[in-house]
Amino acid sequence: MSEHQLRVDWPACTAHGLCAELLPEVVSLDEWGYPIVHEAVTGEVLAMARAAVKACPTLALRLIPAAPRPA
Amino acid sequence: MTSATTALPTAVQNEEGLPPVVSQGPALLAGIGHGPGLHAHRDRIGPAPRLGAQELVELAREVDLRGRGGAGFPSAIKLASAARRRAVVVVNASEGEPASHKDVALMTCAPHVVLDGAAAVAHALGTREVHVVVPSELPSLRLIVVRAVRERAIAGERLRVRLHDAAPRFVAGQAQAVLQLLAGRENLPVTARAPEAVSGHRGRPTLLSNAETFAHLGHLARVGAAGYAVHGTADEPGTTLLTLRGDGWDPEVREVAFGTPLTEVLAQDELTRPLLLGGYHGTWLRPGQLPGLTVSRKGIAAAGASIGAGVMLPLAQGWCPLVRTAALVDYLAGQSAGRCGPCRNGLPAMAEALQDLVHRGGPVARVEELCGLVRGRGACAHPDGTARLVASMLTRFPEEVDSHSLGTCRSGQPGMFG
Repeated sequence: MSEHQLRVDWPACTAHGLCAELLPEVVSLDEWGYPIVHEAVTGEVLAMARAAVKACPTLALRLIPAAPRPA
Repeated sequence: MTSATTALPTAVQNEEGLPPVVSQGPALLAGIGHGPGLHAHRDRIGPAPRLGAQELVELAREVDLRGRGGAGFPSAIKLASAARRRAVVVVNASEGEPASHKDVALMTCAPHVVLDGAAAVAHALGTREVHVVVPSELPSLRLIVVRAVRERAIAGERLRVRLHDAAPRFVAGQAQAVLQLLAGRENLPVTARAPEAVSGHRGRPTLLSNAETFAHLGHLARVGAAGYAVHGTADEPGTTLLTLRGDGWDPEVREVAFGTPLTEVLAQDELTRPLLLGGYHGTWLRPGQLPGLTVSRKGIAAAGASIGAGVMLPLAQGWCPLVRTAALVDYLAGQSAGRCGPCRNGLPAMAEALQDLVHRGGPVARVEELCGLVRGRGACAHPDGTARLVASMLTRFPEEVDSHSLGTCRSGQPGMFG
């Protein structure tokens, strides 16, 4: 099963919060409105994660194939 | 081991205008008694070393040379990744950490030791392009580097050296921020798409290291692995530069061999006080931990700290480590570039929560929560380093934290709870 990681480009993110709306399974917002990525993106939410990446107004999200877990 | 001998006042100045004392050292600082000129340097150690990339990588691997900017990344891996067409060499002497003076001291007292390293690396990578980043707040250092580069050009060295002036702020020396500066943009961190050794300055392979690291590479290329291992331990060969009391009234830069006991580095009374090791992004150690430690990457890591860029800050006599940490976090919050939301919002919130804990008995849980909220959530390591400092305060001084929560200070810090 393919796993992906959602990465935030922090200088680009301006806390619009659409990612948390579209992908509450993976993303919540901190007290200032910036995304907290809780877990890896797995098969069932991958399509929604792609939608969130596309919908980000500042293009601050990237979906990358999960690398083998670092030691 | 040879111990430090003469103490030379230098042109080096820190923010308060106090020059650190720089002592003669066993390897990189061995020639400072002969002045910073090229002739004296060549008379003492001979011509600049010239090795191929493979040879230099092998040597760096053999002595396990690590970068001296703080992160301790293996130089052999960096060199091997950058050893491709159209490589660029970047010497980072910008030293944004206010409590560190070792790179400025090295560049001032022994510029050719650093530039020999840069030349050796440039030769190994098959490039002539060398960039040197100097702190803009020290124009005297820039002049020293300009003069040293000119001396080498007159002596026939064919390098294209460009100088760049780093902004006077904490995060300006971070690798991606330095690449921004080289590209003519604002000297602030951005998100790294790839390691700079793979894709750095203008997308070219870039060997960006701290000035001390280049000095070690030059020394290593000249004396070989066995010569390098004359100092240090079998496990960790060589020497390292330390800045002692770098933000105090009597700062000092020393070169010591790995394996030197901390009891030989710090004064007797400093061993009885908490030590902030690794600078403002570093880790607190309790006095009881100090006598058993040596200057060793691995030994210090085993004690739950990191040697970082070699900054050692004993807590001043009579101070409370919590009050000191809160003051440092105030400073660090102000040094955020303000580009990444969690850092821009989280560090000032953390500074406030700490002041609240330290001076008004506010909740520890809020401080812990904010550490978790900033960690790993920025383009550079500034939020992580600040969280590390605060987390080490919480773990090393639980009794002090408890007493502050109850509205008292064990150190009896004046002005507290007034």
